[in-house]
Amino acid sequence: AVVTIGTVEMAQAATVSRIVVKGNGRISASTVRGNITIKPGKSFTNDDINESVKQLFQTGLFSDVQMQVSGNSLVVTVQENQIVNAVVFNGNKKIKDEQLEQAVQTKALSPYNKPQLEADKRTIQQAYESIGRKDATVETQVVPLDNGRVNIAFNINEGDRTDIKSINFVGNHAFTDGRLADVLQTKRTNFLSWLTRKDVYNPTKLDADQQRLRQFYYNHGFADFRIVSSVADFDPNANAYTITITVDEGARYKFGNVQIDSSVAGVNSSELRGLLQTRKGDTYNAKDVEDTVEAISDRIASQGYPFAEVTPRGNRDFQNHTIGVSYLVDQGQRAYVERIEIAGNTRTRDYVIRRAFDISEGDAFNKVAVREAKRRLEALGYFSSVDIDTRQGSEPDRVILVVNVQDKPTGEFSIGGGYSTDQGATVNASITERNFLGRGQFIRVSAGGGSDSRNYQVSFTEPYFLGYRLAAGFDASHIDNSYFDNYDYSQDSFTLRASAPITDDIRAGLAYTFERTDYDITDSDDLSQTYKRDLSVDDRITSSVTASLTYDTIDDHNLPREGFYAKASAQFAGVGGDADFLKITGKAAYYHPIIESADVIGSLSAGAGQLIKTNGSVNTFDQFFLGGETIRGFDTRGIGPRAYCDDDTSGCDHSYDDPLGGATYLNASAEVSFPMPVIPQDVGIRGAVFADAGTLYGLDNNPASDDRIVGDDFNIRASVGASIIWASPFGPLRFDYAVPVAKEDYDDVQNFRFGASTNF
Amino acid sequence: CSNDKDIDITTYATQTDPADVLFNEGLANLKAGNLSEAGRKFEAVDQQHPYSDYAKRAIVLDAWVNYRQGNYTDAVAGGKRYLNLYPTDDDAAYAQYIIGLAYYKQIPDVTRDQTPARQTEQAMQALVDNYPKSEYVADARQKIRFARNQLAGKDMQVGRYYQERNQYLAAINRYKSVVQTYPKTDQIEEALARLVECYYALGLTNEAQEAAAVLGHNYPQSEWYKDSYALLEKNGLKPNDRGQTWLSRAGRMLGAS
Amino acid sequence: CASRTYTSGYVVDQDALKLVPVGSSREQVLLTLGSPSTKATFGNEVFYYITQKRSQPFAFMKSHVVSQSVLAVYFDSDGTVTRIANYTLKDGHVFDMISRTSPTGGSEQTFLGQLLSGGSTKPTLPGAQQQTPGAI
Repeated sequence: AVVTIGTVEMAQAATVSRIVVKGNGRISASTVRGNITIKPGKSFTNDDINESVKQLFQTGLFSDVQMQVSGNSLVVTVQENQIVNAVVFNGNKKIKDEQLEQAVQTKALSPYNKPQLEADKRTIQQAYESIGRKDATVETQVVPLDNGRVNIAFNINEGDRTDIKSINFVGNHAFTDGRLADVLQTKRTNFLSWLTRKDVYNPTKLDADQQRLRQFYYNHGFADFRIVSSVADFDPNANAYTITITVDEGARYKFGNVQIDSSVAGVNSSELRGLLQTRKGDTYNAKDVEDTVEAISDRIASQGYPFAEVTPRGNRDFQNHTIGVSYLVDQGQRAYVERIEIAGNTRTRDYVIRRAFDISEGDAFNKVAVREAKRRLEALGYFSSVDIDTRQGSEPDRVILVVNVQDKPTGEFSIGGGYSTDQGATVNASITERNFLGRGQFIRVSAGGGSDSRNYQVSFTEPYFLGYRLAAGFDASHIDNSYFDNYDYSQDSFTLRASAPITDDIRAGLAYTFERTDYDITDSDDLSQTYKRDLSVDDRITSSVTASLTYDTIDDHNLPREGFYAKASAQFAGVGGDADFLKITGKAAYYHPIIESADVIGSLSAGAGQLIKTNGSVNTFDQFFLGGETIRGFDTRGIGPRAYCDDDTSGCDHSYDDPLGGATYLNASAEVSFPMPVIPQDVGIRGAVFADAGTLYGLDNNPASDDRIVGDDFNIRASVGASIIWASPFGPLRFDYAVPVAKEDYDDVQNFRFGASTNF
Repeated sequence: CSNDKDIDITTYATQTDPADVLFNEGLANLKAGNLSEAGRKFEAVDQQHPYSDYAKRAIVLDAWVNYRQGNYTDAVAGGKRYLNLYPTDDDAAYAQYIIGLAYYKQIPDVTRDQTPARQTEQAMQALVDNYPKSEYVADARQKIRFARNQLAGKDMQVGRYYQERNQYLAAINRYKSVVQTYPKTDQIEEALARLVECYYALGLTNEAQEAAAVLGHNYPQSEWYKDSYALLEKNGLKPNDRGQTWLSRAGRMLGAS
Repeated sequence: CASRTYTSGYVVDQDALKLVPVGSSREQVLLTLGSPSTKATFGNEVFYYITQKRSQPFAFMKSHVVSQSVLAVYFDSDGTVTRIANYTLKDGHVFDMISRTSPTGGSEQTFLGQLLSGGSTKPTLPGAQQQTPGAI
């Protein structure tokens, strides 16, 4: 509607006794009178007229407003806009009406205006483009009804999925296309894309990808790395994009000499050298520089210089491609945190967020501490977004930290299925809430079962027990298991546990477990005497205390590429109950990329365990058991000492084959994993070859004299094999095939193992 | 998955019933207590006869129905729409009141974001300022007091968080902001008592005595004053009554803000 | 080893202290020492600069106060420094704070309410600006 400003002719100030409204149809005169500042009997001037006209237009109801004073009444003539009666979306399947309604400006009961309609068309077009349907078309249809109302329809033709035919890299020598494609989040279309939806082209996502690519190269020595161009050209008839990224890698740099210069009295740089993660001769790595800055800032802050700032300065030597780094420590601006204001937490309690901060109100403002708090809050997993911005406080040297969080649903009800060679097909259902009542507590109730097992668990954890950064909680479970041939057992266990960080990488844990196990023999005639003896105990109580220490610097737990993991624990049973033993176990694993450019990762792992008798011989089932889950190629409990007799060859009255476990075990494994050569990297399938070895020996369970015992000595079993690992959208799947190369003839072999667990 | 069926808009929602019929059906349903039916009738009036006199009253009644049914965002939207179109009308105070109530109902406990409390305070204050003669002013004042008590309670909760970790500086500043901004709420007694505790813990004994004196002067029977008095007395100190002038000034100062 | 000591509150700058003897003006104090950690709530104007040295033996332990100093700068009515006092940890007292809290309202959250409200957020339009994790 063309907007014309009302024409007004009248003397300077005047009063009217009546306001007459003309030209209104549906809109009541009282609505018009309610929206003008002029009132009968009150004097008004030209500005009041203009103000009233402006206000009437602001309601959006009128396409034209005229005001004249005639005699002692003010005549307001209006022309009404058409009103939108209903807005309808047709032909949309991928995006629901409710979502479109929210995004479109033209709403029911709002005034109908054409330019707005065009803008809405573009909004819908962009929405479809962002879900990968660039060729969707939108037509508008306007149908006038009676008394100035119109109906509006958006007729949408969604077209079909726009693919990304290929992502090509030009100019990359140090890394294969596959490795670089793995860095990007935008993926080429493949048979799973309808599910992963990663092949949707979106310019902002591609920019973020470029940033990831730069970061990847900076972390691998390419300080001069540059993205020359990144082009996504759309082929209309194939309805597909081809993305070409041209890069200029530049030279690979090593670190030159590294020093720390401090201009702050009292901070001496030689002491800080220990914190350097960037050493002369190493490959240049931007992340190491960042980590060093953070480590130094933390250290000098704790030495009483919270305002000191650390800025890295690189000086490049272009001839022999080295970058010298000097970390400058100088006095930053003295600012204090006046208040920490937390907003947006509609569910999480204030203290759960506040305790993530090492600094409190009144302390010195220190960027590193704020960044660490942000990282801790994001790691909690309770928020879809965490932003910490600063605002000027009440004094020039005062800053207010505004922590804006966005709570996300942290409860999930999941049903899972799985299959593994140990337990066969299993189904389980669980309710988990990771932020119980917004108090940061974790609670899970789950139940599950397979062809021969049933299990029920409840677990609860309070991450800040009594205000300490001590994660304390309990687990209670009941298991009915009939997996083994000749006996079943049911087990109730209750564990009280606490674990705490000693340093960033080391964590200590303490737990008390009360376990009641009830065996019953289902078929006693193929059992050895030892089994009969130790299985005839009903309601066997094991009451034990376990202490453990864990060191973990693994970078990413679903696909470890770098890092070291070690865990040592000691379980002392004998705090009451029937079982008395001390079990000391340890395991360690080390991951390191072998050929970085092709993403080939090597890993070495080892484990050991020793059972120590504390009160005479132990029950058979307290001993360690070793099998396919540690040394692939063997059955569960397939290795180690055994009560074994085959009645027709070795002259015993009936045959039996019962693994007895052992007091000592050792195992080691070496594995090399690599992306599957032919399949595109983003499908997430990796291959691996491995060699496992291990042994289990030593009997502390005083086996029955007339059982024929074999394998109670130290002989190494070993196997080699290959596996396929698929990080599928349904969950991790792993197929192992292993062939024992060194074994005893009575060991149980099982070449193929398959493990899958999915939650959908 | 169900997708929404396509609609031919040439015939869609063209039939209109007379505004008064719809409106009265809405009123009848409202009186009979079936709110969703009443809501639908009022929305139909607004839909079919937009900006008519009946539509005007239907908007505010629809907002009330939404409020009663707990869809507070719609209630606020309805109230605001009414105020936008009919700012000076006789139902405007009622619309403003509904907006205030809708925010009031969303106030969470003090450990969570108190934005709804601030919104309640602003909306009810607008009612008191713009429509002083309205019948809702009394309840609006009461809701303002409740909202301010929540906002003060939030600062107290954070203050206690820091005091438990003997971060006395942070705690003192939080309690002081309650004393200065929310002196009329029932958190004030505890705020003063906590100040006594924090000053005393830091060793600033006469500051502790001053705070106890202000508490004693204004709330002599308060439990909190008894605690502060006991704390100071245990160590041979008494609320420092340095002359009537200062104390009354401190007392008055508290009353004035 | 793992223990960490750090300063909480005002960072004392010893030589700055010498520049504000008794008699200096309020502005001079603000300029040299910076704005105070807190001011007196009642009575004459007093600036308090509160510093705590805290240490945390292990990452999970609560940090405890190793040393505490409160620098109090007392002003007379026309804003000149009349007295400077320093209170340390030994002047402080240790006692249990009162556990009672004043009543506040607001709807408590029930577990069922939390579970059911899980999906309550309105569906937003796909392609709306997702939050890419920006640095602070």
